[in-house]
Amino acid sequence: MNLKISALEFVQEVKNGNISAEDFVAKTLERIQSVDDKLHAFLHVNEKAVDQAHEIDKKVKSGDRVGACFGMPISIKDNICIKDSKTTCASKMLENFVAPYDATVITKLKEQDAVFVGKVNLDEFAMGLTTEFSAFGPSKNPWNTEYVPGGSSGGSAVSVSAFECIASLGSDTGGSVRNPASFCSTVGYKPTYGLISRYGLISYANSIEQIGPLTRTVKDTAFMLNIISGLDSNDNTTVDNKNEDYLSEIDSGVEGKKIGIITEMIEEGTDPAVLSATKDAISKLENLGATCEEISLDMVKYSVAAYYTITATEAGSNLARYDNIRYGYDFPVEGYEFNSYIAKARRNFGPEVTRRMIIGGFVPSTGHAGKYFLKALKVKSKLTRDINEAFKKFDLLIAPTVPILPFKMGEKIDDPIALFLVDINTVTANLTGKPAISVPFTISNGLPIGIQLLADSMQDKSLLQAAHALEQTVSLPEVPI
Amino acid sequence: MVTEEEIERVSKLMKIDVDDHKEYVDKVHTMIDYFDILDSAGVESEEISMQEIPISNLREDKYIPFDEKLIKKLNNYKGTYVRAPKMS
Repeated sequence: MNLKISALEFVQEVKNGNISAEDFVAKTLERIQSVDDKLHAFLHVNEKAVDQAHEIDKKVKSGDRVGACFGMPISIKDNICIKDSKTTCASKMLENFVAPYDATVITKLKEQDAVFVGKVNLDEFAMGLTTEFSAFGPSKNPWNTEYVPGGSSGGSAVSVSAFECIASLGSDTGGSVRNPASFCSTVGYKPTYGLISRYGLISYANSIEQIGPLTRTVKDTAFMLNIISGLDSNDNTTVDNKNEDYLSEIDSGVEGKKIGIITEMIEEGTDPAVLSATKDAISKLENLGATCEEISLDMVKYSVAAYYTITATEAGSNLARYDNIRYGYDFPVEGYEFNSYIAKARRNFGPEVTRRMIIGGFVPSTGHAGKYFLKALKVKSKLTRDINEAFKKFDLLIAPTVPILPFKMGEKIDDPIALFLVDINTVTANLTGKPAISVPFTISNGLPIGIQLLADSMQDKSLLQAAHALEQTVSLPEVPI
Repeated sequence: MVTEEEIERVSKLMKIDVDDHKEYVDKVHTMIDYFDILDSAGVESEEISMQEIPISNLREDKYIPFDEKLIKKLNNYKGTYVRAPKMS
């Protein structure tokens, strides 16, 4: 059984009766059992997955209607609710929380006969970019287990890269899908803000976060997007995509497209190997008929500070609900005064979440809001205006997904500013609501490098076409695990 | 420049009780100091853009029954109540 096939190949093979979903899912669970001790992608494995796949095989054999996924094994970041299963956000605060309802993306995937093989690791409450801030221990990069896999959707990227599932769902607030995709050599997609419902995603920073797929190929991302995108009455920030088919015309290529190279994203601090890969990607796109030209987005320099100011403010508000009274861990209320109980219970938050809550209380507070929060909102507005102007001239923008190569575990964990700056190339898409994708491009010294493409809002289809064209120009080695 | 006292005051307001107080204060201090870069962005005259959503675009405001007793899933559930600590 070849577990390395793409989602589209899997669907075709099951449809044609060449493989059964049950066998494939069983082998996938065996794979998880054999490699996940080393990688720690999974927080929970769905023991009923084989039975669920068996039921789908029965439908295939009897000629009943079968959903588009045909029993495809998918992993889900553990901040997305699946009814009656644990959703911990990799936090001790929610260690025993069982979701009472399905997220909209889960409902849609269930309707299309996907099989969820398990919930995967993340930085606690998706706050981080290495998965080292998970309360249940870090995930490891399958390309070299001494290195971080990126984050916060690190478990998602590891599980796809190490063949522990075919696709995964993560969430991207400042690059949390694209960063681990780049570090683990998978495709990672952050859609236009509102394209995918956030209902059932445990909130961190509502105004900019989005659920996004991680897959082996760009076509698989388009396939997933066809299933999970669209309006949702439970999330009034969703936009009507008129049931766009992202897979059709995916071979359209980039001939005649104008691509802007964001100069602020390839400046000092960019690793020479990453810079060289970016230049190579640009010349490959030019060989395919695109025209590439440099463009300056001055506000990028301030984007990381604006991003952390805005997200910490929203996180401070969102995390206020974790008082341990309505839900949380086992900590009796007897003998405590109300406020001191909450403060004590919150000791179960990890260090990064605690820091961001404090910052989230500070930057919008009286006397400081004008200096920090309001200024951050103004940077966001100016950046959005500038990028909208850029898209009047260019069809797409290009930059490395992450300016550096994956780094060793523990290397940056005590240096918050060094960690902040890893996000410099990804937060722009979140602050402006634009779609962006990380495409696996090359391997340098055994570590992956991804290239990021961005498009204007609702130009997701055109973005996927360009990403597919770029993907076709490279042939990458297999993950060595 | 942010002072340690200001950070401590905010921690209290946010109902955060931490063991390694000094370590938290130092790191939060470093992070907030980094945000001073916003001062050189030159955006003072910039308007903050807002996205307006008309009420007609919102979901109808009606009761949707849930098929389970949600209160039973909550922590400290006692009969028809959730038990909370005493208010001072």
